[in-house]
Amino acid sequence: MSHPMPKRPPRDWTVLTLMALLAVLIVASFATLPLKWKDFFTIEAVSSMLELLGGFAPPEMSSGFLGKTAWATVETLAMSGVGTLLAVIFGLAFSLPASGRFGAAPRALTRAMLNVLRSIPELVWASIMLIAAGLGPFGGTLALAAHTAGVLGRLFADSLENAAPLPEQSLRTNGASAAAAFFYATLPQTLPQMLSYTLYRWENNIRAAAILGVVGAGGLGQMLKYHLSLFQMQMAATVIIAMLLLVALVDGASFALRRLLTR
Amino acid sequence: MLELRNLSKSYNGRPVLQQLSWTFQAGEFVAIMGDSGVGKSTLLNLIAGLDTPDAAPGESPIVIDDIAMSSLDDDAATRLRRSRMGFIFQAFHVLPHLTLLQNVALPLLLNGMPTTRAAEMLEAVGLGGRGHDFPHQLSGGQLQRVAIARALVHRPALVLADEPTGNLDPDTADSILALLQREIKATGACAILVTHSQVAANMTDKILHLSKKGIQETTIVNPFKQ
Repeated sequence: MSHPMPKRPPRDWTVLTLMALLAVLIVASFATLPLKWKDFFTIEAVSSMLELLGGFAPPEMSSGFLGKTAWATVETLAMSGVGTLLAVIFGLAFSLPASGRFGAAPRALTRAMLNVLRSIPELVWASIMLIAAGLGPFGGTLALAAHTAGVLGRLFADSLENAAPLPEQSLRTNGASAAAAFFYATLPQTLPQMLSYTLYRWENNIRAAAILGVVGAGGLGQMLKYHLSLFQMQMAATVIIAMLLLVALVDGASFALRRLLTR
Repeated sequence: MLELRNLSKSYNGRPVLQQLSWTFQAGEFVAIMGDSGVGKSTLLNLIAGLDTPDAAPGESPIVIDDIAMSSLDDDAATRLRRSRMGFIFQAFHVLPHLTLLQNVALPLLLNGMPTTRAAEMLEAVGLGGRGHDFPHQLSGGQLQRVAIARALVHRPALVLADEPTGNLDPDTADSILALLQREIKATGACAILVTHSQVAANMTDKILHLSKKGIQETTIVNPFKQ
């Protein structure tokens, strides 16, 4: 006995319409921007670009300058490290109400606040903090902490919400206090994920810390801006190499640690 | 040890338990049977203080060792559960990130007691020497042994077991029930076992049937009971 096949579902035009709209937007973006592709690829443009790049070689390797660069590297590393640490502390504190542990109203309020914190980019936070805390690494550190607390608070809250509720419930049933049940059952479940998020954000903050220097927040970014503005290209090259090495080092260390945690 | 006095509970106006009265003695191992939805698990939750019975002010429908549960606030009920009760669940509820020894030692830690008895309890349930293993290295039957050790390690006066053999094969269930019976007798606790299994119920001292009419002791005599 043969069974009739079910009817083919009606074609969904929503996706096709959205894709067509997206294509129109992309074409319109290129059409409205004053992009002068021809000027970019002229012999004159290419030769002046090569001349500029040639100015970077060889990088400045005098011991005095290398020492200054090393110190700025440490400053950038410290800025990202302390910024991330502050963000973890505040993110964890905000994640408890944001995961709905204290009811729906505190959850909505804290999530809205975390949205604001992470919607403002680090550069804008840096401008605000530099006005408040003055030029230097302190303002940059606070800027990184403010933005990253918004990101980590949200990620930590989601981890807590997604944790299996049974272990905590069973501990509560067995007479554990709310705090003991959280620390023995839910936090250990989410800790590897939280550490992984933290390491990933630290990786991002290293790059951000280097950029924040440009607006006066100290470290390698500030050195780069200073030497580029004086057209001291060889010194700028050394700073750029230090930035690349630092980012590569932290990326590698963070990747290895995250793999270890999620094994 | 445990007294139910006209205990009632309803949800959204729908009565689940009505005017239940019974007295459970210390050292008694009692099975509670009944159809699904008759309120067996609700009864356990009420006894544990995890849910509140319908009661007029001044009434004490649940009394444990002369303490009226209705007179306790949340914190006091939590403390009572921690020190006087032990729980065994169908799904074991063993913490996956702790070793077996740490799992069994938890009630002792929460009660501020020395943790030396944890190893003794593991030994008693046949898992001596495996204290440093993690739950994922164990079978379902072994996990329930850990749960029994955890429920009894702090010598509770009242043990509440909700379908503890529901997830186990018949042979493992038999050995778990025998172990539970032996350990309960050794500690002198009153134990209430909620079960659908007649075989499991037959291993207890007394079988109670819960129905819409209330609690009734059955007269089934188990010829195989030792």
